[in-house]
Amino acid sequence: MSIRKILAYAAIGISSAIMFIPFLTALFNSLKTVGQFNKYPPELFPDPIKWSNYSEVWELANFSTYTLNSLTVSVLSILGAILSSSMVAYAFARLQFPFRDTLFMIVLGTMMIPGVVTIIPQFIIFKQLGMLDTLMPLWVLEWLGQPFGIFLMRQAFLGIPREYEEAAKIDGCNPFQIYWRVALPMCKPSLATLAIFTFMAKWNEILAPVIYITTREKYTLPVGILSLKGQWTGGNDQYLVAGALISLIPILIVFLIAEKYFVEGARSSGLK
Amino acid sequence: MKRKRSFSLFLSALLSAALLITACTGQQANTGDPQNAKNDSEQIVLKMGYYSDPPTQKKMEELLAKFMEKHPNIKITTETGPHAQFFQKLNTQIAGGNAPDLWLSDGVKVFEFAERGAVKDLRELIEKDLSKEEYYGMDANKGPGGEVWGVPQGIQIGVLYYNKALFDKAGLKYPDANWTWDQVKEAAELMTIDASGKNAKDPSFDPNKVSEYGFTIFSSPVGVSRGWFPLMKTFGGGVLDSSLQKAVLDTPENKQAIEWMVDGMKRGIFPDPVDLQSFQDPFKPFLSGVSGMQIDIYAARVKMREAGLNFDVAPIPAGPGGKRFAPSIVNSWVISKTADEKKTQAAWEWIKYWATDDEAQREWASLGEAIPVKKKVAEEVLTSDTSLNAKVFLDSMEFAGSLDANAVFGEWRKAFDESMFPAFSGEESVEQGLKKANEAVQKVLDGFYKK
Repeated sequence: MSIRKILAYAAIGISSAIMFIPFLTALFNSLKTVGQFNKYPPELFPDPIKWSNYSEVWELANFSTYTLNSLTVSVLSILGAILSSSMVAYAFARLQFPFRDTLFMIVLGTMMIPGVVTIIPQFIIFKQLGMLDTLMPLWVLEWLGQPFGIFLMRQAFLGIPREYEEAAKIDGCNPFQIYWRVALPMCKPSLATLAIFTFMAKWNEILAPVIYITTREKYTLPVGILSLKGQWTGGNDQYLVAGALISLIPILIVFLIAEKYFVEGARSSGLK
Repeated sequence: MKRKRSFSLFLSALLSAALLITACTGQQANTGDPQNAKNDSEQIVLKMGYYSDPPTQKKMEELLAKFMEKHPNIKITTETGPHAQFFQKLNTQIAGGNAPDLWLSDGVKVFEFAERGAVKDLRELIEKDLSKEEYYGMDANKGPGGEVWGVPQGIQIGVLYYNKALFDKAGLKYPDANWTWDQVKEAAELMTIDASGKNAKDPSFDPNKVSEYGFTIFSSPVGVSRGWFPLMKTFGGGVLDSSLQKAVLDTPENKQAIEWMVDGMKRGIFPDPVDLQSFQDPFKPFLSGVSGMQIDIYAARVKMREAGLNFDVAPIPAGPGGKRFAPSIVNSWVISKTADEKKTQAAWEWIKYWATDDEAQREWASLGEAIPVKKKVAEEVLTSDTSLNAKVFLDSMEFAGSLDANAVFGEWRKAFDESMFPAFSGEESVEQGLKKANEAVQKVLDGFYKK
């Protein structure tokens, strides 16, 4: 191994160790007792190690139900985002129709509207649709196209050489078949990126579930963890950290599985 | 063949999504939405909202079950969540016309709801069913036209908490009811210790390397109940005049109070805003046993006990003119303006049960979360608590006062915090800070009241 390589690995090793410190601190904090958690100056290592924080938090927050709810919301959101955004994006990238570019600008423009502004109108709409206190408001909008997803997928479709599509056309494919059988499979990295972004956004979302969900059994994971928070001065912080760490696991798994596509997709869309 | 298969796969995905949508919507129609549950003509279904954490939620559900047993014609469904999220949701619900029929309001938010027309005037019901003298905080929700917007649910009152171990270590006498702010500072100087173990009276004391502080007095964000506000009041100042629509920050009394505070911060005997940020949680210095004193509310005892602190309480010290003040927050039940006559009556039954039933009051008090609103029960509960000088909380009721909470409390407090931060950090003079804060707070008030 050359010296350059050794130095490079050392640099990578050191910076990863630095990045790892917050995780490690969180892990140690999640194993402390209340008294130790509040100690000043803070102690890094838990003594005694309170493993039961994890089992207690699992019981306290009804984690299995909340995890299932979060998974339902995330999976349905991902499906919706991938299907609807890619369809709209394909139309913007390849089909010819009046006001196409103006419409695309309008779609992009909606990304500038802060989410809080639309909370009340959305709440009223979901109320009238009878969807309050169901998981639907948390994922159904993803089935109606998502501006960021449309932008991301449009960039991906634009990057495919037109020759593929022309060849398919000569073979007798209609526009939907070209989209479904030719263009979409060539955009897997971008689809994976969109899936991961949607997953992370939905998995960590807090405001929408707080507003739309009332019944405890329908809480998503972040709301469940938050409900452990003490009412007054802090409280149960060790549980909050333990809960947050548990909820991190699925994100890590998804990221590890899709890492190859994720990095590729983010690079090809110039989003790094 | 393959083409056909993928297309049918796509179609089935769409179909299952559509099925799911209908399934979920169908489910909604059957869930306990109070609006839809009028099948039983006898039973009134109420939707009640309250903020909670796991223990308070458990206790509230127990009390609700007992209430419903006594009132079989009333069914109460609940909505709950942590404090911040609960109110976030409630505001959306009110705006979207879907508010609960009754809810537990943070004491400082009652006027916010009242002056925006979200809650009912309960004056007549109170006069009919409750005798005012028996309860604490009955005047807290009184509007300028005599309206009463809520009935107390639990009382918080600010006192001076002190760490007995740190007082003993410094060889000092514990604070008592006769203490003044000068005595607080004197004791704080002796308890503040730097990294080399010298106290703040020592000429070689290093205020930049403090390891134990004498007194935590908050600038923001909790200073309104646990810091600058009660201090200013005891110095004869305040934030708003009695109309609650005019800022009176730019006064010599306020200047004197804030200068007293900033002086302590500059000398390192009180943690300044930057020090508190470095602790992440502003309550941490006292909770972790490295601060000798702190102003805090009744509920804080629970967490301090959990942290294993050896502490006690004394009334908030008197100001230079002997003036006394204890900040009080009267969390209250309010009834939604949208509740019809029947629901209002049912909601009132619950409020009456809460206020008058001694057992319910005792049960709630067992959480240690708030002082019971019924004076008789409060005395009984607090005198039986021998772990600390609990009578201090009741004695402080004599000089308790509100936090100048009005319809724009949250907004004016934010304006104050932002304007005063440079003054608390020593980057700007107190005089300048108060002038700026006065203008900023007045702007907020005018934005609401002069529209």
